[in-house]
Amino acid sequence: MRKLLEIKWFVLLGLLTLACQVMAQTRTITGKVTDASDNPVPNASVVARGTKVGTSTGLDGSFTLKVPATARVLVITGVGFAPMELEIANRETIKAVLTTADKSLQDVVVVGYGTQQRNAFTGSAAKVDAAKFSTQLAPAFDKQLAGRAAGVQVTNSGGLVNTPAVIRIRGVQSLTGNNDPLIVVDGIPITTGNLAGTTNSNALGDINPADIESMDVLKDGSATAIYGSRAAGGVIVITTKKGTRGKAKVNYDGTFGWSNPLRKFSLLNAKQFETIANEKLTNAGLATQAGINTAADTSNTDWQNQVMVKNAGATNQNLSVSGASDKLAYYFSLNYSFNRGIIVSNYNRAYRVRANIDYEVNKFVRLGNSMTITRQENGDQNNGSNGLGGAIASSLRLLPNVSPFSASGYGGYNIGYPTNNLMTPGPNGKTIDDNFFNVAWSLRNDKLYGDDYRIINNTYIEVSPVKGLKLHSQAGIDMYNDYAFQGLNAFHGDGFSTNGSTFNESLNILNLIWSSYGNYTLKAGDHNFSVTGGYDVQKTTNKFFTASGSQLSDAFYSQKNVISGAATIQTIGGNFTNTGFLSSFGRFNYDFRSKYFAQASFRRDGQSALAPGRRYGTFPGFSVGWRPSQEEFWQKSGFLARWISEAKLKASYAKVGNTLTGFPYLTNFGNAAYGNVSGLGATGVGNPLLQWETSQKWDGGIDLGIYKNRFNFTADYFLNDVNNLVLAVPTPLSAGIAGSTGLSGGSISQNIGTLSNRGIELSLGGNIIQHQDFTWNLSFNYSHVANKITNLYPIGGVPTKTLTDGNYNLIRVGDPIHIIWGYRSAGVNKQNGNAMFYKADGTLVQVNLQAGSNAGVIYAANGKDDGTLGAKSSLAASDMTKLGNGVPTWYGGLYNSFTYKGIGLEFMFRYSGGNKIMNVTRQDVLFNQKFQNNGAEILNRWTHPGQVTDVPKVMYGQDANISQSNIGNSRFVEDGRFLKLQNIILSYELGQKMLKWSNGNIRSIKAFAQAQNVHTWTKYKGADPENISTAGVDNAVSPQIRSVSVGLSVGF
Amino acid sequence: MKKTIIIGSLVITALSGCKKVLETAPNNSVTSATAFSTKARCDLSLNGVYDAAQSGLYTDGSRRGYPFGAANIEQGDMRGEDLVNIATFYQIVYQNTQNSVAPNVVAMWKGLYALINEANVCVAGFEGAQKVKVITDSIAIQYTAECRFLRAMAHHEALIHFARPYADGGGKGVGVPWRDSAIASSTAVAAIYTRPRMRTDSVYANILADLDFAEAHLPVTNQVYRATKAAAIALKMRVKLHMGDWAGVIAEGNKIISGSGPFTSPIGGWTMDANPDDPFKLGNYSTKESIFSIKNDALDNPGVNAAISTVYAASDHKGRGLIVVSPIIWNDPRWLCDDKRRVTVVSKGSDANGSQSLFVYKYRDSIGLGDYAPQIRYAEVLLTMAEAVARSTSGVSAQAVGLLNGVRNRSLGLSTEAYTAGGFADQTALVKAILFERRVEFLGEGKRWADIHRLGTDPVYSAGGGIPAKAVNASVKPFTVYNCGGSYTAGQGAIPYSDFRFVWPIPLTEIQQNPIVAQNPQY
Repeated sequence: MRKLLEIKWFVLLGLLTLACQVMAQTRTITGKVTDASDNPVPNASVVARGTKVGTSTGLDGSFTLKVPATARVLVITGVGFAPMELEIANRETIKAVLTTADKSLQDVVVVGYGTQQRNAFTGSAAKVDAAKFSTQLAPAFDKQLAGRAAGVQVTNSGGLVNTPAVIRIRGVQSLTGNNDPLIVVDGIPITTGNLAGTTNSNALGDINPADIESMDVLKDGSATAIYGSRAAGGVIVITTKKGTRGKAKVNYDGTFGWSNPLRKFSLLNAKQFETIANEKLTNAGLATQAGINTAADTSNTDWQNQVMVKNAGATNQNLSVSGASDKLAYYFSLNYSFNRGIIVSNYNRAYRVRANIDYEVNKFVRLGNSMTITRQENGDQNNGSNGLGGAIASSLRLLPNVSPFSASGYGGYNIGYPTNNLMTPGPNGKTIDDNFFNVAWSLRNDKLYGDDYRIINNTYIEVSPVKGLKLHSQAGIDMYNDYAFQGLNAFHGDGFSTNGSTFNESLNILNLIWSSYGNYTLKAGDHNFSVTGGYDVQKTTNKFFTASGSQLSDAFYSQKNVISGAATIQTIGGNFTNTGFLSSFGRFNYDFRSKYFAQASFRRDGQSALAPGRRYGTFPGFSVGWRPSQEEFWQKSGFLARWISEAKLKASYAKVGNTLTGFPYLTNFGNAAYGNVSGLGATGVGNPLLQWETSQKWDGGIDLGIYKNRFNFTADYFLNDVNNLVLAVPTPLSAGIAGSTGLSGGSISQNIGTLSNRGIELSLGGNIIQHQDFTWNLSFNYSHVANKITNLYPIGGVPTKTLTDGNYNLIRVGDPIHIIWGYRSAGVNKQNGNAMFYKADGTLVQVNLQAGSNAGVIYAANGKDDGTLGAKSSLAASDMTKLGNGVPTWYGGLYNSFTYKGIGLEFMFRYSGGNKIMNVTRQDVLFNQKFQNNGAEILNRWTHPGQVTDVPKVMYGQDANISQSNIGNSRFVEDGRFLKLQNIILSYELGQKMLKWSNGNIRSIKAFAQAQNVHTWTKYKGADPENISTAGVDNAVSPQIRSVSVGLSVGF
Repeated sequence: MKKTIIIGSLVITALSGCKKVLETAPNNSVTSATAFSTKARCDLSLNGVYDAAQSGLYTDGSRRGYPFGAANIEQGDMRGEDLVNIATFYQIVYQNTQNSVAPNVVAMWKGLYALINEANVCVAGFEGAQKVKVITDSIAIQYTAECRFLRAMAHHEALIHFARPYADGGGKGVGVPWRDSAIASSTAVAAIYTRPRMRTDSVYANILADLDFAEAHLPVTNQVYRATKAAAIALKMRVKLHMGDWAGVIAEGNKIISGSGPFTSPIGGWTMDANPDDPFKLGNYSTKESIFSIKNDALDNPGVNAAISTVYAASDHKGRGLIVVSPIIWNDPRWLCDDKRRVTVVSKGSDANGSQSLFVYKYRDSIGLGDYAPQIRYAEVLLTMAEAVARSTSGVSAQAVGLLNGVRNRSLGLSTEAYTAGGFADQTALVKAILFERRVEFLGEGKRWADIHRLGTDPVYSAGGGIPAKAVNASVKPFTVYNCGGSYTAGQGAIPYSDFRFVWPIPLTEIQQNPIVAQNPQY
């Protein structure tokens, strides 16, 4: 009401002054731009329409502009606001009230080779707001994606700072092919993955999160079909920032923080260890060994403290300059980020520079360049789950009553140099089983290091020769250069037996992309047409060489690099591969009155991984949409129009492919040296008939804007039928085909097998309270994906129902991928403490834990309360059964923000579930029956007849039988559900009044304090329910990191 | 317009050159079409077959010396009672708790069949190369003979681990799948789905056919790490010994044994070295005693996790001390206390647990890991012959005693300790002495299991049959239990021959991917 009065007042004022203004050639207009809450909007652009005359508002939102007499309309734009056009009429003073732009429905979707208005977009896509996490401590943006968009499942396994996250869009699409999404940055598909030679590394860490302007996740077939074969796992399209009109803006963001383990393992202390270790031995009829030499030093070591650091420091510093004149827009940024992990030697350091320039030569030609140059440094350690030097693996096993240090040991450490590679046993009768190394020494003396340089550059030219036509050609280069080093110390640990070793790798991955396309749009009355067509060429070369040496003349030489002449045994390695893609593509869009929509697209891809004659595949996509909210009946209906301001129904279908790696069509012979005699041996059997893997994707959805678009709601149902899998069909071991992995024989790729993913995605969000001083925003998303293997391959004409899938999983027709598979535990026999299992027929068997020659032998059992041994029995493969789904089926996130004046409070939760976890850490490590430490849970072991417990009797050397090592066991299969408080951010932004002292030199100041990965609510007993492989197996993975940080953002 | 023409022509020029983007091929391997296209490549491919014998893939993808490189020796010893597993590395095998996914079991099976197929692929390749005159007929036939030698050896090893012995039912039992043609396509794989495990005697017949061919076409001399005529004959002796075909052993033995001590082979000139450690000294891998060994080298070996030197050597010798000598053999009074082998090929040192123990010191290159894995020594030829002669001659065979002495005498402290025919009460005592001599002479060479296996049902020479009692895993303590001639009670019970654990299971993946292959009972 107040606003209305104001406008009337201004109109009246305008009328009064009309007469004086008519005669002037130019005139001066002053005014003020505010938001709906009457706060001034600084830095908004004010331009007279049809002219180049413009200015931007000051800190108080005011402006003064000389406009030509002919100017009729002012165009006012401000970041975060809907553009506004105001009739000048004869006014001299103007007050403009900008309304907040609705981000979810009115902005654009960056699709392949162009953009579309969101309300005209008929595919399925989610936008992720990178600004929400750009100041957080994270070495790469992928680690922050979890929970932020429906249909996007992101798993951060473990707390290492340099590993990539696993991203799955709408489930797992392929059994043996690629499942990662394609990541496109400024039109260039970039190299992703964990690529470095000796350390973990994350190629996505080369993108500075603060440089991201928008991130669109393209999910359904019609949105991704234009990327053809690359699109099976979805596409994430990232556009980096460009300068916006107005004077140069300088932004500084600085964050400093500290990280700690979120949850450590609960292990036995020295005293408890001695009890348990001796009990294991005596139960096996052996002499006690633990703590028997009371004269020797005894200590109480928590080896996790030797491996992990407290308050690991981290920082993220970002400085950017951006702006634009009429012709030239520029954006430059510098970034330094350093994240120490919680493992002593783990860190990631990154230096990132970006320069984006766009230049409009004239109305015809625009050109520009975006470039980023980065360097990442990674420090790492042996992370092996079973490795004797594995950081976590050994810290869980090393003996707590033995000290890492010894006054008489080399360098003050408890190591056997120069005599042997063992630790002294301390008060024990023997040293640790399996000779686990003194990890405190190894982590400080073994070096695993890598650094990479990355250049991603993209140059484009855009020609608009006639109205509606835009021809675009861009050349991109993505160069990844990795240097890797590993030096293993000669005195102890992994390097002892080879007398020290060094290893270097130099890796170069070069991607050249040339992409040319045209867009033509035509508006003919109520009909809008838009056509896109183009051609892509991509060429990738991947080359590396390695140099390694062992038997070093001196341990000194294992510190930095291979050194000439230092090693007696020297080996080299290397390879060169080049692969390519040739693609043509097109898209046709039609809409009628912005009400009815139809889209068709296609891509024809050729890839070098297939045999000549079979290299090309064509992938079409179609979608339709209808906006009933644009129909007359809707707009006339008071109820609908009032409550539902925007409604869109859409449906799509597409056929997409999946990229293959290597040359699966060829049968190859590679180097197979016999000692030092060169040889050639089969490396794999190819299938010259192999064709593209294809999938059919269906999607139906609804988008609603509720109550003046203050709330929005999106729901999608999707079905993805992968009906022509390229399956690496395993062959029997006795076929002797090369390329065997794990327990399986070599495989031959065939177009066989089908699977499907179906699911729903919901997202809901909006402004719950939009008050002058107080706002409350909430958004929520939920996804459910049901994966099902529908067909595998035949063996001798009979369709096979199952496919081996590692030790703990199985792929089975009718089930989701990676079900957990193994023996069903029946608990513990109350009378004798034996571990009990069910056989397939439901009968009980028990693992005999009486010392003697029949220890570990399986006998039939009459019941859990009956301690007698029945007939000798066994657990066989046929007794294994499904123990749960390994992959989460539902997940999502909740984001909440409050602001009160300058104070902001944001938090985000995310959740996931529907899966079980095979906790191998518990099975193999925490419950080992060796002379090694255990988890605290073992204190509940069975000790006397009649005791009811779920932890069997302990017995030295019976790991394989009690826990059924290397096989799924329901005793260690746990629920994977969790709810995580992902982050909390408390911020305070100084009001404009408080910045007055800077005389306009400081545009904004915001201070914030935040906590990341704050808490996980879960029943899972391991370190974290996210510490799982893609198959739902947790095996001695580093705990997750919790970080607390403070920071400052300043705008100039 | 001009601009459009320029851009257009640029586009057309560029696109026409782009087709090459798809025309790529691997740079690290040659295709099957060219692997046998020159004599040099045929040579390389043949070496590749030996490489498959040296270093097949373990289940974790590393190379641990399956099937014949190092793991063969380690597994053969760990299935027996004369050496003790110290850490947990070989515990499953040592304690016979293997199941169908046990990595050692799977790696052995897949390593053997990978070698067999590599051999078969090359046999086909050489045949093709011979047809187009890339290699001469004589080269083709020699290379084929080498492949068939390895194929025979691999099938025999498979029988030893995965099937009941020939003696159980005279070869009528279930053997292992026999593969004699190249499998390098889905079609070829489909063909094996109809071929179950072959009967044991048929596998033996096929092995002998391969070895007859090998004997006929292998050269008399070759590198120690490649097959020779004498190697084929010696292997035939081993195979016939397993069949209980004494006459067959003798017939073969006569081809490569002449004289009455010292014995020498008329084919290849093989004979015994002067000292028991001569064939094992660092770099001394091709003496006149080593008929056939698998080559390892500092650049290509089973690595610190599995190399024979690291596994068997004490940590004092830069080894890992994972396998130690058992008091069962050490204390056995039949092994004379002054026997040189107690000193020259056994050493004292620290084991993996830091305890003092006795170690087999036959593999000494703990840093370079280049010890060859011995497969056939002349000592085996003589002892095999001795056994066949002794068993097939009533009473105490003087010839057998001579053959036995041909091996044993060089290790005696005093020459007066040599066996005489009169010193044996009867034939049984002589055969027992020969069998015991095999345990001592081949200590740490992985031969123990083969003898346990072939004698599994033998009522006379395998007391109780089955797998003998062993020292308790991981504990030969204190050092004083090593006591020449002293008593020792084995703590880990024997497993009777009838127990299902006597044979290893067929790997689970084999059963799943190839259901026609039957699992061994109770696995």
